[in-house]
Amino acid sequence: MRADGDDVQERIAEYRRIAVFGGVYSNAPALEAMLADARGRDVEAVFCLGDMGGFGPHPDRVFPLLREAGVLAIQGNYDESLALGKTDCGCGYTDPRDNHFARISYEYTFAKTSMENKRWLGGLPAHRRLRLGTRRVLMSHGSPRVINEFLWESATPTGLLKRFLREGAADVLLCTHTGIKWHRALPDGTHAVNVGVIGRPENDGSSNVWYTVLTAGPDLSVEFIPVHYDYETLARQMEQEGLPPEFAETVRTGWWTTCLENLPSQERSRGKF
Amino acid sequence: MIGPMRLPLINWMAPPADAPRAPFLRLSTLWIQITGTWCNLECVHCINASGPADPWLKPVSPEVVRRAIREAEDLGVKEIYFTGGEPFLHAEMLALLGDALEVAPTTVLTNGTLIDEAMADGLAALARRASYSLEVRVSLDDTDPETNDRVRGAGSFSKAVAAIVRLNDRGLLPIVTATEIARAAHAGEGMYERFRGFLMARGIEKPRVKIMPVFALGRLGREGDPRLTEADLAGFDRGLLQCSESRVVGDGGVYACPILAGLPGARLTEGTLKESFADAPLYHPACVTCVQTGMTCKNG
Repeated sequence: MRADGDDVQERIAEYRRIAVFGGVYSNAPALEAMLADARGRDVEAVFCLGDMGGFGPHPDRVFPLLREAGVLAIQGNYDESLALGKTDCGCGYTDPRDNHFARISYEYTFAKTSMENKRWLGGLPAHRRLRLGTRRVLMSHGSPRVINEFLWESATPTGLLKRFLREGAADVLLCTHTGIKWHRALPDGTHAVNVGVIGRPENDGSSNVWYTVLTAGPDLSVEFIPVHYDYETLARQMEQEGLPPEFAETVRTGWWTTCLENLPSQERSRGKF
Repeated sequence: MIGPMRLPLINWMAPPADAPRAPFLRLSTLWIQITGTWCNLECVHCINASGPADPWLKPVSPEVVRRAIREAEDLGVKEIYFTGGEPFLHAEMLALLGDALEVAPTTVLTNGTLIDEAMADGLAALARRASYSLEVRVSLDDTDPETNDRVRGAGSFSKAVAAIVRLNDRGLLPIVTATEIARAAHAGEGMYERFRGFLMARGIEKPRVKIMPVFALGRLGREGDPRLTEADLAGFDRGLLQCSESRVVGDGGVYACPILAGLPGARLTEGTLKESFADAPLYHPACVTCVQTGMTCKNG
């Protein structure tokens, strides 16, 4: 509080149009394609909601791309685990088969990520706040309260989103972590958006990945942008690195083959496996 | 009250004053103990000794259920679960599931024996209408009919498997829930893979399996079973326990734990959900299993 009794407002950056993505999962070709696409869309800043590694090959390749493009990132559970030297990714799986693949992925990523990049991940903030026009935006990886909380479209009640927005003093909540994008406009004019991931296709039989462009205005504009990239090269690199063939299959087919057991029934029923 | 005579005495003890406590962090999960301990089966390992005769815990009225759902919505609940007993013995089960699905993703835990063609149709219609996911968890304790029926009762295997197939045929993707009670019957074989293989062999292309530990309570509870002390919990994050973010509405009030619901020692209030938001005593032998296994009654 200032001496005159007025609250001191924290300086929060204000934007008109931004690009936001999540879950890079060591997919450098997709990241490169996405950044090039965003440059052509007149965005003022690019944000990443975390999880740079896991699933894909050569984890260190994504960091120069993020830094050179000036991407403003927050920390995901994978980033937190790598930075702290934890023994597992903290993805929040409870199923034995999911945990088997998660373990392979994490051990590979941990061994192949440089100390310098782990330190960089350790310095990322847990949340970011900004203004998009007049709207207050809160960014988190999982949920605002738990870094690895899954917010699936069919398993996230509107009442819970209202609570997150109220407690977070925000008009727009942005999150990722699940790997499948969605947008819900709430009756009071607030919004929740899962921005999707660019590291892995979203279990719909298409090889492309997704990011999100948000534009201020009387009505908030939320555009999901497909990103097409050289997935065959990525799949071959995964095979050369000895990653599970199930991972390369997902990259080629667009169907998830692992990490399926956390999917609620609606999302699971749309996939092949 | 029907009385405690059918349960081991240990289930009715009061929490000792020095029992460790679990903090209350948030209401993520609302459980409805919809049919109390009224069940059409009488499984040997049942956590709350449910059965067809003289249930010691009574069903909950639809009014109480609807009031709890409304309050939970205001409190920002994330998931709702129905359990019992056997939930499909409740005359208004489908309607109440529909009410819950208006508010949050909802799961029903069932033995599957009452899910005939008409009930499967009703559940499929509910799931199609709902914005949120409906999950049906069907209990099965072994992939071998005889081993399963020794635990769950004669004929229970074939009825449960028929229900699983019916639900799957309608796109409902049931979660098959098994306890580890029959693990010894298949020494050296992975229980999870065995269930997955069993389901896939029956044409279930997206098998979902949840394995639960066996608890020392209900019909398996014994006087003298170990209980937690503060020393046992040194360095343990109590916020990981499901009682730190779940509440259970059952006959008699609100409880912290789905498997202790109905026990006087586990009751936090006779009032509202909000009035139950306080530390919960980790006083029961079942609490040892939760701490040791990290288990949760939730789907994932």
